[in-house]
Amino acid sequence: MHHMLWIKNGIVIDPKNKIDGEKMDIFVKNGKIVEESEVKKDECKVIDASNKLVVAGGVEMHAHIAGSKINTGRTMRPEEMRVVRQTANKLRATVGRVLLTSPAIGYEYARMGYTTAVEAANPPIGSLHTHEELDAIPILDKAALPVFGNWHPVLKFVAEKDFEKLKAFIVWALERTKGFGVKVVNPGGIEAWMYGKNCRNLDDEVPGFGITPRDIITSLIRANEELDLPHSVHLHCNNLGNPGNYQTTVESIKLAAGFKNDKRQVLHVTHVQFNAYGGSSWRDVCSGVEDIAKTVNSMDNVTIDMGAAIFGHATAMTGDAPFQFVLHRLLGAKWSNKDSEIEGGAGIVPIMYLPKNPVHALQWAIGLELGLMVDSDKVVLTTDYPNGGPFTEYPYVMAMLMSKKMREKELEKVHQYVQKATNLPAIDTERTLYEVIHMTRSLPARILGLENKGHLGIGADADIAIYNINPNEIDPSTQYEVIDKEFRRAAYTIKAGDIIVENGVILKETWGRTFWIDARSKASPEIIDSDLNEFFNYYSIKRRNFGVKEEWIRNPERMGVR
Amino acid sequence: MEAVCTFCGNVCDDVEFDVEKQKGKRFCPLGLSKFQKKERIKSPMIDGKEVSYEEAIEKAAEILVNAKRPLLYGWASTVNEAIRLGVILTEIVGGVYDQCASVCHAPGTLATIEEGLPGGTLGSVKNRADMVIFWGSNPMEAHPRHPTRYSVHAKGYLIKDRKDRKVVVVDVRRTRTAKLADKFIQVKPGYDFAVISALRAIIKGEDIEVDEVGGVPKEQLIELAEDMKNAKYGVIFYGLGVTQSRGRDRTVENAIKLIQLLNRTTRWIIWPMRGHYNVVGAGEVPAWEVGYQYAIDFSRGYPRFSPAEFSAVEMLLRRDCDAMMVVASDPAAHFPRKAVEHMKNIPVIQIDPFPNLTTLLSNVVIPSAVAGIEAEGTAYRMDVIPLRVKKLVDSEFWSDEKILEELLKKVEELKG
Amino acid sequence: MDKKSREDGGEMMLILKPKFDFEVSVEAEITPDLAEKSLDEIKEFKVWYGKEVKKLKDLFEIKKEGDEKKIILDGDFSKVKWIGCGMTEGEIIVKGSVGTNCGAYMKGGRIIIEGDADDLLGMEMMDGEIIVKGNAKNLIGCPYYGDATGMQGGKIVIEGNAGNYIGEKMSGGVIEIKGNAGDFIGIEMKGGEIIIGGNCGFVGADMKGGVIKVKGKCDILPSFKRTEEGYVGDVNVGGEGKIIKI
Repeated sequence: MHHMLWIKNGIVIDPKNKIDGEKMDIFVKNGKIVEESEVKKDECKVIDASNKLVVAGGVEMHAHIAGSKINTGRTMRPEEMRVVRQTANKLRATVGRVLLTSPAIGYEYARMGYTTAVEAANPPIGSLHTHEELDAIPILDKAALPVFGNWHPVLKFVAEKDFEKLKAFIVWALERTKGFGVKVVNPGGIEAWMYGKNCRNLDDEVPGFGITPRDIITSLIRANEELDLPHSVHLHCNNLGNPGNYQTTVESIKLAAGFKNDKRQVLHVTHVQFNAYGGSSWRDVCSGVEDIAKTVNSMDNVTIDMGAAIFGHATAMTGDAPFQFVLHRLLGAKWSNKDSEIEGGAGIVPIMYLPKNPVHALQWAIGLELGLMVDSDKVVLTTDYPNGGPFTEYPYVMAMLMSKKMREKELEKVHQYVQKATNLPAIDTERTLYEVIHMTRSLPARILGLENKGHLGIGADADIAIYNINPNEIDPSTQYEVIDKEFRRAAYTIKAGDIIVENGVILKETWGRTFWIDARSKASPEIIDSDLNEFFNYYSIKRRNFGVKEEWIRNPERMGVR
Repeated sequence: MEAVCTFCGNVCDDVEFDVEKQKGKRFCPLGLSKFQKKERIKSPMIDGKEVSYEEAIEKAAEILVNAKRPLLYGWASTVNEAIRLGVILTEIVGGVYDQCASVCHAPGTLATIEEGLPGGTLGSVKNRADMVIFWGSNPMEAHPRHPTRYSVHAKGYLIKDRKDRKVVVVDVRRTRTAKLADKFIQVKPGYDFAVISALRAIIKGEDIEVDEVGGVPKEQLIELAEDMKNAKYGVIFYGLGVTQSRGRDRTVENAIKLIQLLNRTTRWIIWPMRGHYNVVGAGEVPAWEVGYQYAIDFSRGYPRFSPAEFSAVEMLLRRDCDAMMVVASDPAAHFPRKAVEHMKNIPVIQIDPFPNLTTLLSNVVIPSAVAGIEAEGTAYRMDVIPLRVKKLVDSEFWSDEKILEELLKKVEELKG
Repeated sequence: MDKKSREDGGEMMLILKPKFDFEVSVEAEITPDLAEKSLDEIKEFKVWYGKEVKKLKDLFEIKKEGDEKKIILDGDFSKVKWIGCGMTEGEIIVKGSVGTNCGAYMKGGRIIIEGDADDLLGMEMMDGEIIVKGNAKNLIGCPYYGDATGMQGGKIVIEGNAGNYIGEKMSGGVIEIKGNAGDFIGIEMKGGEIIIGGNCGFVGADMKGGVIKVKGKCDILPSFKRTEEGYVGDVNVGGEGKIIKI
């Protein structure tokens, strides 16, 4: 590892610190970005970044990269795993088409200039497995979000309106799972699936508990905000995948009204593309983005991520078990399901997005609409990997957001249904590089509450990406091919001050940290001790064996709360 | 001391063991016999001569590096940390990785590839299952505490009493488990596949034109189909009676299709009764590291999956390996005789705490600490629930993890 | 290189003979196209011997007579895999037994195996012909794991017996087993034809289309309906596949 780095003459875009295409030097020491005065220039390893774009390493805030359902996805899809990316030499062999092995995930994010990734949905009892897989992903810093929205203790405390116990439970759960935040997937719907049902509307009753998804979401937001955790509630809305569901999404977003946090949003709604359909059936389905965008733009405390669909192969894998069964029936495809104790569930179905299929073309267009119509300070670029498609196609999405011309060309290749069913052809908006860097770095870092990520200010982690793009000379509107190409292979990716990638080639394998939230200063699990003992009667393991110890994680990084 | 049992796929985590007194609480006889002291391999050996760990590991490394096609097999009775090193080691030496599932539950993996796996954890069964079918599985003998902890007598959220649950055993003979079932259905050996096709047709609303299928009268099939349709949450647990009899992966696949059908109107899941305590880990670890669960070849520098070619038995029957390493397993006792014959022709390395038939064939023997008693690590229960097995006592023996770590270092050194 | 006839009018071809008994398997993706190349190029052809990359000349004696697209594999090739993989034309004759994955992804031409074939024969075959004079084993004309379709066209004939999994997810072509076969003949078949001259086990499970003709005994599933010629089904997938007794 180079003790000190001097990145010279790069053209920096750092939205958090309001730097937009300024030529400046960046200095790194002991894995952090430091003042020039802190380094001895003659002892620095120098990187000549002249005419190159210098930005923070990308922050992946929602992807399915580690844990039981990811691994079942691999196991059930050898047709995916047969694609060989790299043979073993000094580094590991890597394979995978859209689904990837753990080493491949680390290498591919790093080559693209991403340095942090968060596993979007961790089944609590499977946390140790999730952390084992996260620890098999090289290079990146990572975290995992345990799922709360169908967990019996949550449902019970919400029913009893006992916020003290709910908060204590969240604190206990984050510590036990070594988790990063409160993820909510189809609240109440998975419990309903245990009876073969679902909760598609916010006021549907959750069987056995007498509460609704609305109750669950608002209670968790309230508890999360009273605890003031670094990240907000992270919601996968009810009614995912159904025509007309945009209304459920708008209603869900509005649940954030009345809550306020001075550092970040109080609600992050994820992969909205899958929840942004208008119409009433697959025959008249259309885009519901307009209303969603209007709602999000009018609120100052909600953020979303796109969940963009990319043409080609994909795998639908979520904690939304009832939706996955519906998808299996719709497509006639193979289907995995995992009901999990009293916590929730998961499902997996292989899928493929075809440009000439009107519904797929619609989904593709909707993802892009979201990236263009929602304020760039409120929408993060994701594909809900692997649901929408590979994360390695983020450069394609970036290029599309920045170029109307590219969109026009692409629109010619897709089913004409999108012409009448979406606004995409009429959208003139072209995001700037500044905005797109914000949507992939500073915004996700802020949303997650990771203060040292996503920017290049003094004190930030030295996670840096350098691209062969001169922001002051390139015109992304017409040079979209350059954008698409260059963001795939960083000229340099630096992780914690270590040069990991040069010209898109991995130089070495290092191991990142796993962030988890310790909020025990905010609420003591004592008040739920007997409740927990009760609940563990319904578990199939003993309470004493539930959870993950820090020493079982390779490089745990405990984050306290303010 | 609180312990986690490291014998069968139940991975009972409510047990206690006193190492000094050699007494256990809540163990079944199988688990207890694993925890109580038994004969150990006393020292590392090369060709019967006692050597140091370092010498044995060096010799093992040489064998693996020099072999054209080494087979690294076993893995089901050790912890994930060791398995992961084993996978990486196999990749580096360009060999073949295979694990015990290839002679037990691999058919389930193949069926999952074809149709997916509509499943759930043991806690889901305990809490919700009002109908449990053991198909070709005899937990009273192979997984003794399964009925009490998880599936028959276990009570939970919705199931408050044994009477709330209907237990059915489908098997070729009346097993011990059949005795605690509410219904026993006897199938002619080799006809599970046909019986399942019949059930699917009946549930679909078709009339089957025969009077019996696989020795099961049509009325019994219709009754079973009705029971399954009327269940609110059912589970099929299947075992080696299905995976190692005629039909294998296709029978499991057929059962999965049956479960898919039932989920249209009610809730059903299906799950394999995995044998060894971490055979699941032996498949899950390579899946995330290299993409597949077993029968993985690395000779071209990247992983390739082909059970017909790379399962250990197939490799040995075709005499397609020139060296073998066996970790935590006893192929000499369980493999077909013709396969074991080839083991005699090639250098064999064994890593295991206990001497077994494979030890007699091994050129290099490396004794290891017993996971769950002398070494800690992560194991996955039969339903892929991770549990940390404990270290109750210190030992002079190296853990599998440490042995493989050193072996990997030595191999990397030799390769330069 | 100019094509020249031999003066004695004999056959032109490439002949390969193993130089020694192979300790472990050899993976040699040999197709008749190889016979058209120069002798030097042929000698340098890359094959795998365990984890080692070797040249064809390291493992085989090579005799080349003319440029005709015909290869004779003279000897025991039972440890040699992937023969004829993806071939489009020409002929391969194995004067002995052959290893696994023979004729995989075949698009044309002909393979004749005078001895026995091993597992994974003619997998995902599109066209061409494979004839096995001896016996075959398991997995004939099937898809590789996770793929949607098996054999799409061409013809596979086994003079002897075969094992399990024949013509799985087949959509076209013909597979004929003159002797007995095992279980799962034509499972999830969509089209094409399978002929079993002897006895076999379970046929036609989850069949959607296609025809299976069986001369001897077989296990008909309860999800098939009786017809004049035999059976139709599989009702479990609303199939219209036919099983005919011949």
